[in-house]
Amino acid sequence: MRSTDNEENLGVQAAPSVLGVSSLVSFDRITKNFGATEALRGVSFSVAAGETVGLLGANGAGKSTLIKILAGIHQPTSGRIVVTGKERVFFHPDDARNAGIATVHQNIDDGVVFGMTVAENLMLDEIAKPGGTVFLGNRAIMRRAHVVQQRLELDLPLTAVVEDLPPSRRQEVAIARELAKNPKLLILDEPTSTLSEREAEKLFDAIADFKRRGIAILYISHRLSEIERLCDRAVVLRDGKIVSEHTAPMDTKAIASSILGELVLATENKTRKGYETVATFSGLTALPESSPISFNVRRGEVLGLTGLIGAGKTELLEQICGHRTATVGDMQLAGADYAPKDIAAAMAAGVVLVPEQRALQSIFPDENLWKHCSISLLSQFSNNGFMRRRREIAFAADVIQNFRVVCSGPDDRIGELSGGNQQKLLVGRWLSRDWKLLVLDEPFRGIDIGARSLISRSLREYSEKVPVLLCSSDPEEVIEVADRIIIMLEGEIVHEDISSNLNAEKLAAIMGRSSSLAKPQKGELLGYD
Amino acid sequence: MIEKTDQPLSKETTNRLNSVGIIKHFVYRYGLLAVLVGMIVYFSIAQPFFGTFINSMFILQAASVVAVVGLGCTVSMTVGGFDLSVGAAMSLSIMAAAGAMVIGNFGGFSAILIGMLAGVAVGLLNSFLIVYARIPDLVATLSSLFLINGLTLMGVGGQSVAKGMTFNGERTTGEFAPIFKWLGSGSVISIPASVVVAGSVFILVHVLLNYTRWGRAFYAVGGNPIAAAAAGIRVARYRIIAYLISGGLASVAGLMLAARSNRGDVNVGDPFLLQAVSAALVGYAVLGANKPNAFGTLVGAIFVAVLINGLTMFNFPYYAQSFVQGCLLVVALLMSYTLAQSRG
Repeated sequence: MRSTDNEENLGVQAAPSVLGVSSLVSFDRITKNFGATEALRGVSFSVAAGETVGLLGANGAGKSTLIKILAGIHQPTSGRIVVTGKERVFFHPDDARNAGIATVHQNIDDGVVFGMTVAENLMLDEIAKPGGTVFLGNRAIMRRAHVVQQRLELDLPLTAVVEDLPPSRRQEVAIARELAKNPKLLILDEPTSTLSEREAEKLFDAIADFKRRGIAILYISHRLSEIERLCDRAVVLRDGKIVSEHTAPMDTKAIASSILGELVLATENKTRKGYETVATFSGLTALPESSPISFNVRRGEVLGLTGLIGAGKTELLEQICGHRTATVGDMQLAGADYAPKDIAAAMAAGVVLVPEQRALQSIFPDENLWKHCSISLLSQFSNNGFMRRRREIAFAADVIQNFRVVCSGPDDRIGELSGGNQQKLLVGRWLSRDWKLLVLDEPFRGIDIGARSLISRSLREYSEKVPVLLCSSDPEEVIEVADRIIIMLEGEIVHEDISSNLNAEKLAAIMGRSSSLAKPQKGELLGYD
Repeated sequence: MIEKTDQPLSKETTNRLNSVGIIKHFVYRYGLLAVLVGMIVYFSIAQPFFGTFINSMFILQAASVVAVVGLGCTVSMTVGGFDLSVGAAMSLSIMAAAGAMVIGNFGGFSAILIGMLAGVAVGLLNSFLIVYARIPDLVATLSSLFLINGLTLMGVGGQSVAKGMTFNGERTTGEFAPIFKWLGSGSVISIPASVVVAGSVFILVHVLLNYTRWGRAFYAVGGNPIAAAAAGIRVARYRIIAYLISGGLASVAGLMLAARSNRGDVNVGDPFLLQAVSAALVGYAVLGANKPNAFGTLVGAIFVAVLINGLTMFNFPYYAQSFVQGCLLVVALLMSYTLAQSRG
């Protein structure tokens, strides 16, 4: 089953020859059923050698399933995969890798091993290979990692421990690990979802470089601008089928409507002034050395907080929501002093947070939907300590209906839902109640335009009753949902304006002001090197 | 799993896969219960005495101590923990209660209180090590296992506590209180007292874990502590409570054991650690729960008792009991881990 053609040439310049084979990888009527659900319903398309193909689709369209089949994680229910003219069956991720298909998954941390240095991570597959070297000292690892790095023309902090790196650097490590195996096809699943604008730029340069070396790329993203910029061709997946195919130059409007089907795009929002001030934050410090900042939030508005990764947004939100104690400064909520000592205290005072990392901070992997809906409202759904199960399930059914969560019912396990549907549920569960302040950290990360416009519409509606503070590093997202925007840079507020006075370019320019001031990229967050 | 064929699957194979899936699902949910029922039916037919009321009570009595400790372990497992010190906590509370009565001439209720306080104190030590000192559960409770066992031995000078023993060179005058005699050999409408106690503990833990907000919080903490904290659950508090319950239930089991023999032997609780943990793990496979649950733990404890009682009637050698128990555990784990993963 396994080909060995990829295994010996470590240290040798990869020469992915174009053998005159028109398609490198092609799928022939791939279907995949999970129980009664048809995730893929006959998907056929191909990627030619050296070509960059964009794969688009709303959450739940089947993108993840397709990628997992390509990566050997899932096996198709029917259909064939043909790689360089030979039919292949991938029973295991190794089979896919040996066939020359490398996948960098959306969750970067799946692609790196914590507790190890970057060099060890790079050499991991060799370490794990049966029949490999028995004795491999630190020095040998470092030396060999250096060779690999030079071959890949990368510049990685080899001695740094993976968990000390910012997400963008971890991603580079994850990509480097795959590249080290000389893939013919590199699959990048939502590679920019955790990157800031500037980091994304760097990734695009790297992708251009891979293309130059003749590596075919399957690029999955929700961001049309990226597809437009990077891809030669794009296919759109909807309801488990390919619905359209586009070639460069791309018509992004046509792509968008093809992704959404009958759904309508978000309409232009009117900028609202807001009513009374509900929360006042004065003298908080976002980063250890930054000077204190002050701002307030009004009922009847969505306040957008934006800035690059590392600007101190998350640190600020964590103080507001009781995830960490504010050491200096003064917070007022609805006219009273507010100084939460932990998350539970913040919630008791009426401040809730939709955290940034959905899988890590919001999801109980084995639990069903209705338990997720009520877990943060246990006292509301219990009587003298006893849970009112029927009310919990009814509540979940409401959330599912109001937020058009695609699922078979409240009993579904959360893991069965796509990212966008998970997020609709996780945001929606908070909106049933009038809190004092709703805070959201990167709520649109990794979700499609349909889910995004639904969530942002509900947030704007909800903000008529309760002020909403929304944090995002994507300028377009902020402008779409916020009435007023605060821009942070290196822990300080550098700009504030109503959203109708701003556009994505202006915002990006202000956010990126640092690029001329600060050192580029390397060691940006943690100061290694 | 998908068949390893190169051809696209025909409709026939798909149907066959579905029926395999249904069988798998049935095995996954009801397999262990079906085996238990089957075993009871077989033993009852082959050995008429097996199915009698008296023998059923023997079996339940044999299961009761393991069930109570196991329910404690179950609670600590729901918060993602693991309590290795339950056996030591049992021994400590046995010695504390027996010592209080025999050496200190305390009454029955005071002795029960002292025994239970001893168990709760072990839970307190564990939660201090785990929650405040941030030592991983397994190693923290391992160290308290040794600490507590050592402390128990030192407290009684390494000897057993029984009526008429000499302590510090003097003959003791105290004896086991009547309440212990009742707990050991009494009954309520011909159901043995220890079975009544274990049954009540089961109902309490079952209700706590499944029907109350605290139970929901326990499982949330075990499922994803970060998400639980983000949902406003005070994670540290629930982990402390879980270990207190675990220690407390270990002491109840200890008192039941002491009442049965009317004496306190050193380290008598030790074997119950593994019995209890294995009952709780077998419980994962009951009704496809795939997580610690009170009903499963109860079934796990009864399963072993039925098995051993039945096999003993067939003159199965006692020294092979461990092996049989090991088989049971492997089968249960195969169901809850291997089978659970291959579904879908």
